[in-house]
Amino acid sequence: MTFAERMLKIDRRIIFAVIGLCTLLPLLYPVGLAIRISPEVKAVHDYIESLPEGSVFLLSLDFDPASKPELYPQAVALLRHAFKHNLRVIGMTLWLPGTGMANEVITRIAEEQGKVNGKDYVFLGWSPGGSSVIINMGQDLYKAFPTDYGNQPTKGLAVLNGVQNLRDVSYVVSLAAGTTGIETWYVFGKDKYKFELGGGCTGVIAPGLYPLLRSGQINGLIGGLRGAAEYEVLIGQKGRAVAGMDAQSVTHFAIIILVILCNVFYLSIRRARQAQGQGSHS
Amino acid sequence: MSFELLLGAWVATGLTLFIFTFLYEDNPLFKMAEHLYVGISVGYAIVKTYDTVIIRLIYEPMVKQGDWSLLIPLGIGMLMLARYVPKATWMSRIAFAFIVGVGSGLAIPRVVSSFILKQVEDTVRPLASMVQGNPTFSFSLADPASNLNAIILLVGVVSVLFYFFFSIEHKGPVQVAARTGILFLMIAFGAAFGYTVMARMSLLIGRLTDLIEYAEPRYGRPSLWLAAVTVIGLVLWSMKRRPQTEPTEE
Repeated sequence: MTFAERMLKIDRRIIFAVIGLCTLLPLLYPVGLAIRISPEVKAVHDYIESLPEGSVFLLSLDFDPASKPELYPQAVALLRHAFKHNLRVIGMTLWLPGTGMANEVITRIAEEQGKVNGKDYVFLGWSPGGSSVIINMGQDLYKAFPTDYGNQPTKGLAVLNGVQNLRDVSYVVSLAAGTTGIETWYVFGKDKYKFELGGGCTGVIAPGLYPLLRSGQINGLIGGLRGAAEYEVLIGQKGRAVAGMDAQSVTHFAIIILVILCNVFYLSIRRARQAQGQGSHS
Repeated sequence: MSFELLLGAWVATGLTLFIFTFLYEDNPLFKMAEHLYVGISVGYAIVKTYDTVIIRLIYEPMVKQGDWSLLIPLGIGMLMLARYVPKATWMSRIAFAFIVGVGSGLAIPRVVSSFILKQVEDTVRPLASMVQGNPTFSFSLADPASNLNAIILLVGVVSVLFYFFFSIEHKGPVQVAARTGILFLMIAFGAAFGYTVMARMSLLIGRLTDLIEYAEPRYGRPSLWLAAVTVIGLVLWSMKRRPQTEPTEE
């Protein structure tokens, strides 16, 4: 067996170990590679910047703990930006398994920024129905969520002063790991109730959302951990996403090298076989 | 540090390491973590649904606020359970008819408007833009409204449609168009796969970041201790399994 043949039959666990090391080492010894800001992430940032203080910002955390590494840093960065900009923040989720995590991130970042529950922000929690919840909120927010996550009545909360339905919300961002998510918010929310919509999503679903971005159906898109890192750079508060970017780059480089090597080995074997075939004919 | 945080760190670390053992081979540690994950997810969903739907959205408004009109949707919803009674199965159709009717009525116009009409509208943008009465061309890949992007989009959409046009044989100019369509599809699949790789790596980075954090002394270094326990567990399991798989000598 030639070297190339042995390499193509290498134990997959060696490749796992290589990828594991390529991820672990940059996390332990970061080098701080440059992060370029993409226009789609900047669009979300700039829209929040353009909102006057006291505007209503609705963040829908439509993901569960399985997508936490990608979407949680996005939520942290967006909430820090919104609270720093003194926006009134409404948090909610359309994904039942993510309810506790969504409450935790909003409460933690609000405390960090010195914001008060009920006055500066509210977490509405989860309500069943997905698209029906959005339609219900578009008609009457208080009917969709009569109480918030902590079971206090939503009617009369200072943070919701002047807000009757989704038409009174200045900006909605859905952080989505799939369906129900950004598309649902567009179809049953923005298209009907005419508020501005931005999105954040996992890397897996990002390519499917670019057509919505191009057609202006959403005004910006934060894609995966990379998008979160860009947002952290934009608000000048580097966190977990930026820390993970070195590892991301190194693993991508390792995968590219492995793909090239595999092709080189494959082609060299094929050539050797062709040469053998010609030799045996002559 | 509170006991809950400490316990959470140890449990999270242990279950992460157990799940990672699947990369070596399917084993009891992985299965235990997998079953726990499924069980806890279902348990959490049942408790949250009971609390949110049964208590907050049905019981409290009816009993505390006297909103007895909720009995109508509650009754329609309960009809679904008629599926479990053979003689009353037909009653469940009322509930399903209601759900399918309302769902379709809401979804069809909105989905057609949002995903078909709006996307078609974006696809058929003019190739040249008129600025103050004069035709103007802008060529920038970074600008979604540029004429260059409109041309690429036109070529891409038309050629991909040709590829999926099976009622005529792909020969001559049709073959050229279909092959161009394949190129566009390959680029699209490549971009999707690239993003998927990025997403999976991000998940790995997330778990490893937690493991690094939990290797700190303030948590009692669960990452190090439990990594040792996991490795010992795997070795013992492999040793125990080996005699069973060896062929018996006669």
